Amino acid sequence: MADTNGNHNGLAVHVRGVSKTFGKGEARTPALKGVDFDARLGELLMIVGPSGCGKTTLLSVIAGTLEFEGGEIDVFNTSLHSLTNREVTNFRKQNVGFIFQQFNLIPTLNLVENVSVPLLINGESRRAAGKKARELLDRLGLEGRGDDRPTNLSGGQQQRVAIARALVHEPRLVICDEPTSALDKDTGAKIMELLREVARHPNRCVIVVTHDNRVFKYADRMTEMEDGRVERVHESYSHYEKGGQP
Amino acid sequence: MLLGDRAKYVMLVGGLTFAALLMTQQCAVFFGLLSWTTSHMRNMRASIWVVDPKVEQINEIKPMRDTDVNRVRSVTGVAFAVPLYTGVIQARIGDGTFKPIEMIGIDSTTLVGRPPVILAGKLENLRLPNSVMIDELAVERLSQGKARKLGIGDTFEINDREARVIGICKTDRHFFGYPYVYTTYDEALQYAPKTRKMLSMVLAEPKTGWTAAQTARAIENETQLKAYTEAEFKSATIKWFFRNTGIPASFGTTIILGFIVGIAVSGQTFYSFVLENLRHLGALKAMGASNGLLARMLMVQALTVGMIGYGLGVGLTALFGLAVVKTGQPPFLLPYQLPLFTFVVIVLICIFAALLGIRKVYKLEPAVVFRG
Repeated sequence: MADTNGNHNGLAVHVRGVSKTFGKGEARTPALKGVDFDARLGELLMIVGPSGCGKTTLLSVIAGTLEFEGGEIDVFNTSLHSLTNREVTNFRKQNVGFIFQQFNLIPTLNLVENVSVPLLINGESRRAAGKKARELLDRLGLEGRGDDRPTNLSGGQQQRVAIARALVHEPRLVICDEPTSALDKDTGAKIMELLREVARHPNRCVIVVTHDNRVFKYADRMTEMEDGRVERVHESYSHYEKGGQP
Repeated sequence: MLLGDRAKYVMLVGGLTFAALLMTQQCAVFFGLLSWTTSHMRNMRASIWVVDPKVEQINEIKPMRDTDVNRVRSVTGVAFAVPLYTGVIQARIGDGTFKPIEMIGIDSTTLVGRPPVILAGKLENLRLPNSVMIDELAVERLSQGKARKLGIGDTFEINDREARVIGICKTDRHFFGYPYVYTTYDEALQYAPKTRKMLSMVLAEPKTGWTAAQTARAIENETQLKAYTEAEFKSATIKWFFRNTGIPASFGTTIILGFIVGIAVSGQTFYSFVLENLRHLGALKAMGASNGLLARMLMVQALTVGMIGYGLGVGLTALFGLAVVKTGQPPFLLPYQLPLFTFVVIVLICIFAALLGIRKVYKLEPAVVFRG
């Protein structure tokens, strides 16, 4: 049954039997082998596992940035597999916020302009976008820095700007790819606290891909991947710490 | 994005400026040179030019019989026809050296074929014996070895005969760079070395109600001479230079080089700019920017640098033109169509450069942003 937000049983993301292969012929490499995966509303879910296990590929297909070959993906009750490329792009621009490992802020734009980008893509006026962006930067502790260039900021500050950019258009799904791996321990911890706060929203879900075990404790739930498959789902960090034993 | 990458921005603007400058300036010099080939027409002016049937362009002289003037006059549709002498003769100047001059002998009664602009003196005085009117270049050239510049009342020698300057005129420069010296037709025959036939051309005007072309065809039918209207003679002359000289090929090569340099520099630089920014473009694509939006973004950036490069290139060409217009050398003619042509070419170069990047962006998977 769909809830008032049109979501099934409080699920933000519902993935069943998804597979993805890279390369052709002898170079053909399966990255996802029939993955089943769920993410709930209001949670910060971490996808963990060794390098090359398919974490980023799974994140990419959930975000609608990578086509997949088999299976089904429903994000907020929208079946990505049944949408055209244009529809997926539109879905992404309205519903998904991105936080990248290397921040990916455009160095030639100032902070307000960087944060405004998703709003401008969504057709908002430059003036309104700038106002919203500045307000959000203020809320994230970057008051008065709106006209600075990203290169004048520390790594932690740049990631805050990236978080502001990911949230400014109020997306329901926030996708984070290794958000702390370019940061020191303390800064990484602050960023994770911020992301956990972001996830505490009844109509939002934050999915974090990471192999930075320093930040595992911030997860509400953890999905462990290995060799293109979901190996285990841990209902809490302590469950993960105990090796998945109850 | 591009404006923030100073090195590439400067490289792109520089390349496009160079391309615009090379194409506009070389075309302007080429057009200037072509205009020199028809300077006789502007310096003598007539609606119909009657010449020997074998004459293909205006700088070519095949003398006709003096009686041909009367044959042309007798053609229906001709209002009047006058003889014209034109030929290169040696003039002896103050220090005893010889300089070639373009001698123009015009009809003494009507003075048809007179210089376009008279700067000093009276044209009517040309009817006095041994009188000549010289252009500014002649003043400069024939004054060599004299304490002061040649002026009205001064003399020099043409073919051992005295020539007295009765006026100074302004003319369009001769293709071979000779100064123009005007006198009457009868005087010109005295100055010029004697040959069996001396009449170079007949200048004619159509009667009222006749067009120049109709009259020219009538002259050809009745006299078996060749008659050109002004436009026909101009076109025939320019075509002759295209067919018989390496000038168009030489300038064409430079202009094509400018185009190739523009394409190569801007295409390569813009493409490498796109490659270096693929991560950011991928991020924008992941955030929901459509291919169309990114294509417009790249196109605007390419056209912006294109317009800056175009402005600088055409501006530098105009400065070059201003610098050479006083000396008259090298030839320079900048019709409004030429900057328009360069504009179109630069826009095409920019579109090509942008398309290289756009092609890459269209193929770009937004997921690239998650890969290291």
